[in-house]
Amino acid sequence: MLTLTSEVPIWAHRLPAGVKLAVLAVVTMALFRLQGPLPMAMAFAAVAALTLTGGPRFARQAAAMLRPLWPFVVLVGAWHLITRDLAGGAEVILRMATAVAAANFVTMTTRLSDMQRVLEWLCRPLAPLGLPPARMALALALVIRFIPVLSDRAGQIAAAWRARSPRRPGWRMVAPLTAAALDDATHVADALRARGGSV
Amino acid sequence: MEKNLTHIALFAALIAVLGLVPKIDLAAGVPITAQSMGIMLCGTVLGAKRGALAVLLFLALVAIGLPLLSGGRGGLGVFAGPSVGYLIGFPIAAFVAGLIVERWQASIGVSAFVGAVVGGIVVLYAFGIPGMALVMQKSLPEATTLATAFLPGDLIKSVLAALITQGIARMRPEALLSRT
Amino acid sequence: MPQADTITLTEASVTLAGRPVLHSLSLTLTEARIGIVGRNGSGKTTLMRLLAGLIAPTSGTVRLGDIDPAKDRKAMLSRLGILFQNPDHQILFPTVAEELSFGLRQMGLPAPEVAARVRATLAAEGREHWHDAPCHHLSQGQRQYLCLLAVLMMEPQTILLDEPFAGLDLPTQARLARRLAALPQRLITISHDPEAVAACDRVIWLEAGRIRQDGPADTLLAAFRTAMTDLGAQDADADL
Repeated sequence: MLTLTSEVPIWAHRLPAGVKLAVLAVVTMALFRLQGPLPMAMAFAAVAALTLTGGPRFARQAAAMLRPLWPFVVLVGAWHLITRDLAGGAEVILRMATAVAAANFVTMTTRLSDMQRVLEWLCRPLAPLGLPPARMALALALVIRFIPVLSDRAGQIAAAWRARSPRRPGWRMVAPLTAAALDDATHVADALRARGGSV
Repeated sequence: MEKNLTHIALFAALIAVLGLVPKIDLAAGVPITAQSMGIMLCGTVLGAKRGALAVLLFLALVAIGLPLLSGGRGGLGVFAGPSVGYLIGFPIAAFVAGLIVERWQASIGVSAFVGAVVGGIVVLYAFGIPGMALVMQKSLPEATTLATAFLPGDLIKSVLAALITQGIARMRPEALLSRT
Repeated sequence: MPQADTITLTEASVTLAGRPVLHSLSLTLTEARIGIVGRNGSGKTTLMRLLAGLIAPTSGTVRLGDIDPAKDRKAMLSRLGILFQNPDHQILFPTVAEELSFGLRQMGLPAPEVAARVRATLAAEGREHWHDAPCHHLSQGQRQYLCLLAVLMMEPQTILLDEPFAGLDLPTQARLARRLAALPQRLITISHDPEAVAACDRVIWLEAGRIRQDGPADTLLAAFRTAMTDLGAQDADADL
């Protein structure tokens, strides 16, 4: 499964995941406290510099991960242009981009398995409520395993549709796909039971 | 017990796959993504508790770094962006949609539609709009104006989610866990 | 490998969603190679799930030795393994090593020992490079083989095989058949294809949830083939 962890190894990959997440939490909270376009520009520059320490390829990947923010940037920009509050607009856009870029930085420099370990650690208090870490780990593994299986199934359904119809299947694919997910869930429950899966 | 776990896991995978399938063209040529329909279906098909857990599991995988949100988004960044309220609202939306289908024994199509609207629109927007207002630093009425742009698409998704739930009730009556 | 326990069905019936699927079956299974044949919908798969303890009989009893398969799941793990028809329904984990480890961990073995056993098994099979491979990248035949390895690692006395050759190309079928034939375990093969059970010591022919015939492979399968050919020759078969 494709993850968002960057394959460009940089120094931050070696830091413990828990530390990175704790720092990120503090930074994000600080960003929403910080006021004024100038301090915000400095915060953005700091995260940009942090990202650039990973080299040009790493920085390009990081920039690509900010792309989904564009519509919001345009929207906020236009809004503040109309209200003639450009400084305010810059502050909002910079804060948004800085917060997202900082979080992406942690995602890009932390392996999936390490993140999973932190998640399991965070969920430990839930164990008495019927969610022991082993169950959680099994559930995560099952999802990662079945995304490509269901995705193939979606492809087969689309192919079966196109073989008999000139139109694209569109939303009509969702019903058979949901049925397939239900069927698979029943079969997988059998397979789990067959190997003693009542964790 | 295994059955609960596998249903939750498979529906988490279903939400992800619905984000991967190419955008669905509505009759008007307006593209919508099927992912939020997956959130509604988790509730209307699996019921409140299992549906919410499936969505939480999906979000956990997004948070630990899998690009499973529609458009290949994922990682911690999405929880710092303008959509954070919607993400937080997802499991609650599924829970409410499921609760309505479980408790209100009207015909499955009707209660699934109402469940999808109340859970997938009313509840979801109640979380999504303040989130957007916070990150983009707009007032609630301003953020609400922005959110209404998505209302027609989400209403259509509610209709589709209800139709699909109704179809499942017909195809796999025993599998409709929200009603068993 | 200890002698496999006798499987005994006593007037076992199964009703699914109000529809009777198996009618009062009584069987004593002791042979090393047993085949179960029947048409689609004859109740073969339900019988397999019943033998495995994945479902309990609606009435009557099922016993493996003195164990109730549906009740004592833990005891069943070392006694009976299942190779499901579709490997994609059986493989639970993203990578090969995780998949092979799961059953052993469920049997209560400590993690380091499980990891060592997984490496040893893959090495013995000449598949060390599979260790971290995503299961999804394996071919259909390789996935089936991975499922078999996962079952074999738990060292059950009996293995249930549900249409083991369906969907495999001919060389893969031949390889799997050879591998299965060499196993010391008791094998119960379920198939609609008489070829798949031709080498069995005993074959049971299931029809509409009842035993139509029970006996040695050669005579029974000859009758089965004739019946299937006759059915196939009829036109406008209402139950197609």
